[in-house]
Amino acid sequence: MAMPPGSAPPAEIVAGLFVVDTSNPLPLAGGGVPAFAATDRRTGRADKMALLVATHAPARPRHLQVPLNPIEGMLTPLAHGKGPVIGGETGYFVICNRPPGPPVSATLRPWPESALFDQVLRPIAQALVVLRAQSLTHRAIRAENVFQGQAGQPVVLGSAWAAPPAMHQPAVYEPPYSAMCLPTGRGDGSIGDDVYALGVLLITLALGRVPMAGQDNAAVIRRKLELGSYPALVGDDRLPPGIADLAGGMLAEDPDHRPSLKILLDLVAARGRKVATRPPQRAQRPLQIGQTAVWNVRMLAYAISAEPEPGLQMLFGATLMPWLRRGVGAASLAARIEEMLRARADKAGTGETFVDTMLAMQIVAMIDPLAPLCWDGVTLWPDGIGPVFALAHARDPATLAKLEVLIVSEAIAIWASMREERDDPASLRLAARTYRGWLQTRGPSGGLPRVLYMLNPMLPCGSALAAGRGVVTLSDVPAALEAAAPAADRAAEPLDPHTVAFMGARSDRRLTMDINALNVGDPETRLISQLRLLGELQIRFDPRPLPGLAGWFAVQTGPLIARWKNRDRRAQVAARLTSLAAAGQLAPMLALLEDPAALAADSEAADLAAAKLARIEGELAAIDSGGPTRAVVATRTGQEIAAGIGLAALATALILTALG
Amino acid sequence: MSKVAVQPKARGGGGLMWLQGLACGAMVALVPAIALLLGVLLAPGLAALMLDRQPGRPIARSVLLCGGAFCIRPVGALWSGGQSVDAALGVLGDLNNIGTAWSAAAAGWFMAELLPLVVRVVLEAADAARAARLRAARAKLMEEWEPHAPPGQ
Repeated sequence: MAMPPGSAPPAEIVAGLFVVDTSNPLPLAGGGVPAFAATDRRTGRADKMALLVATHAPARPRHLQVPLNPIEGMLTPLAHGKGPVIGGETGYFVICNRPPGPPVSATLRPWPESALFDQVLRPIAQALVVLRAQSLTHRAIRAENVFQGQAGQPVVLGSAWAAPPAMHQPAVYEPPYSAMCLPTGRGDGSIGDDVYALGVLLITLALGRVPMAGQDNAAVIRRKLELGSYPALVGDDRLPPGIADLAGGMLAEDPDHRPSLKILLDLVAARGRKVATRPPQRAQRPLQIGQTAVWNVRMLAYAISAEPEPGLQMLFGATLMPWLRRGVGAASLAARIEEMLRARADKAGTGETFVDTMLAMQIVAMIDPLAPLCWDGVTLWPDGIGPVFALAHARDPATLAKLEVLIVSEAIAIWASMREERDDPASLRLAARTYRGWLQTRGPSGGLPRVLYMLNPMLPCGSALAAGRGVVTLSDVPAALEAAAPAADRAAEPLDPHTVAFMGARSDRRLTMDINALNVGDPETRLISQLRLLGELQIRFDPRPLPGLAGWFAVQTGPLIARWKNRDRRAQVAARLTSLAAAGQLAPMLALLEDPAALAADSEAADLAAAKLARIEGELAAIDSGGPTRAVVATRTGQEIAAGIGLAALATALILTALG
Repeated sequence: MSKVAVQPKARGGGGLMWLQGLACGAMVALVPAIALLLGVLLAPGLAALMLDRQPGRPIARSVLLCGGAFCIRPVGALWSGGQSVDAALGVLGDLNNIGTAWSAAAAGWFMAELLPLVVRVVLEAADAARAARLRAARAKLMEEWEPHAPPGQ
């Protein structure tokens, strides 16, 4: 299937290597995202699948931007890129091997302990070891995303690359502190979160059913926080002793208490490992916050984060402190909360609108250091803020407004300072400051869109011109604008603020200067910068002609052509520009419009012409005002001529008389 | 007469007038016949001298010069006829002499009045032609550099 040079690859081919057959969907294979059959063009093997990335739930950049070697026991991503059009939009696909069989959830039955160790625990732990070596996590371990070719064979971990981490995980497979986050805000987390999900998978397979099935996510989270994950999941069921001991540790609420992958790979050590975790003290009577009956401090933190209004009322009320002191025996915690409330009272009247939100966030972090960041009902891990931002930007203005305040207030840094022993506060402080800087950058390359694209390196450009055209990288921009050009408003600039922000987030240093120039108010400079940017992209990525886009620019270049002062020169430039636009090459158009030598010569000639014109005006003015002077001169001259004639007559008469 | 504003009389003009008067008086005393003849023949010029208030009396000058050109022959005839008052009256009796001299004086006046007008017409025409050339050049420049050229007057 050799393609002629300079032509675009067919739309159904991803990354130039994999042919996607969208008419052949693969249900249950995608781990929560739509999957389609795909074929490797090089080998002709049809054992690949293409996972469709949702427009506002970007794929995981850390896993895709660096090529991964194939990992045994896991459907490793092989390639990614634009592909066929689905639902009127150009799809973005992640390619990986097709699962060897159905997911283990398809025929759930109790697995024997030895099979769980040999066919599930060991192969998955080995795959996780490889991931961890590259500082990556999986975050999609669940029965629906673990596949087995044939009975007795090791299972294979499914794909987790085409959606934000843990986005499709039910609450039962996630630690409560991840499950309580927005689905897109769970973040990459740590390998300990994968160990937790693996523990739930072992319990599921050991029981032959999904624990806590039928309960909604909130109920699952409350139950886990109330009882602890392991008791909540297992309840009165009986597990094989080795699995019970191991899963008890794997389901520890604190990731630091979960067994390492090394222990999981050592079956002897793993079988004998039993971790005793002390559940938080339970009160004799619950504290009601909103819909949540709070039995312990973990539930208190969760209730405040999930229902901020009643949570704040409880904080400012009179019942919380006695409950903390006498109900759960947390007198020191109560004292610290009272201290914070007093500090908040001192801050009242400073004009900051988010004082109470910040207070709730800090108190939650103080009550339960394991809890994620909660901000006015938005709960997320800081490394998951990008996908949350992406979804909120597209569909949820209220959450977006909250995230904006979160960034402006640098709440992430303050949250990190409340739990210094669990995070790297310096890096989070830096991140918070950086996010705020992006948000407060003026002009089209800054603000919310800039934050959106900086936080989501694989998010497609959401501009109205590029939407649905699969613009994920800089190289996609010129072709998308070319496709949009025929229907676009020719009076508008080709690069709208969204596209500029997208390009600003994706650009390298060479392009940064031109992108910054787009912030200036001068439309001529902006247009030149846009032309330079897109011309650079055309040269760098795809030299095919862009006549539509070039024509669009040609329509806009009136003010730039007007910089030539000589009318004939302007006509020549306009004619040349029209022919270059027809050829679809942007760089020559830029060279024509931005020719300093020609512009300087034109300007110099204009100065000379102006001087000449001034001289002419002066002479005309002198002529117009010279009537009296001319009259004086005419009178004098006429009289002198008359006198001369008289003198000549006198001289003639004398001569004639003298001659007789 | 020209409508040019009359310039104030130069200082010292009075002294020159006295000298001219003295010369005339001396002439009347020494050669009364010639003085009589010239006085009659140049009467228009002398009248112009009195009436012309322009600096340098250009009209009077022209009238005197033209009139003077036709006084040469009568003065020559008087000179050869004895230079007496009777001879002078005899020459003056020939109306041909007076008519010629006065006609010449009139021609001098006419030229002094007409020639400034002719010259002015010529100058105006020359400047109009030059202005037309300049306006054409200005229009061409403005067309060539429009709209960047300064607006025309």
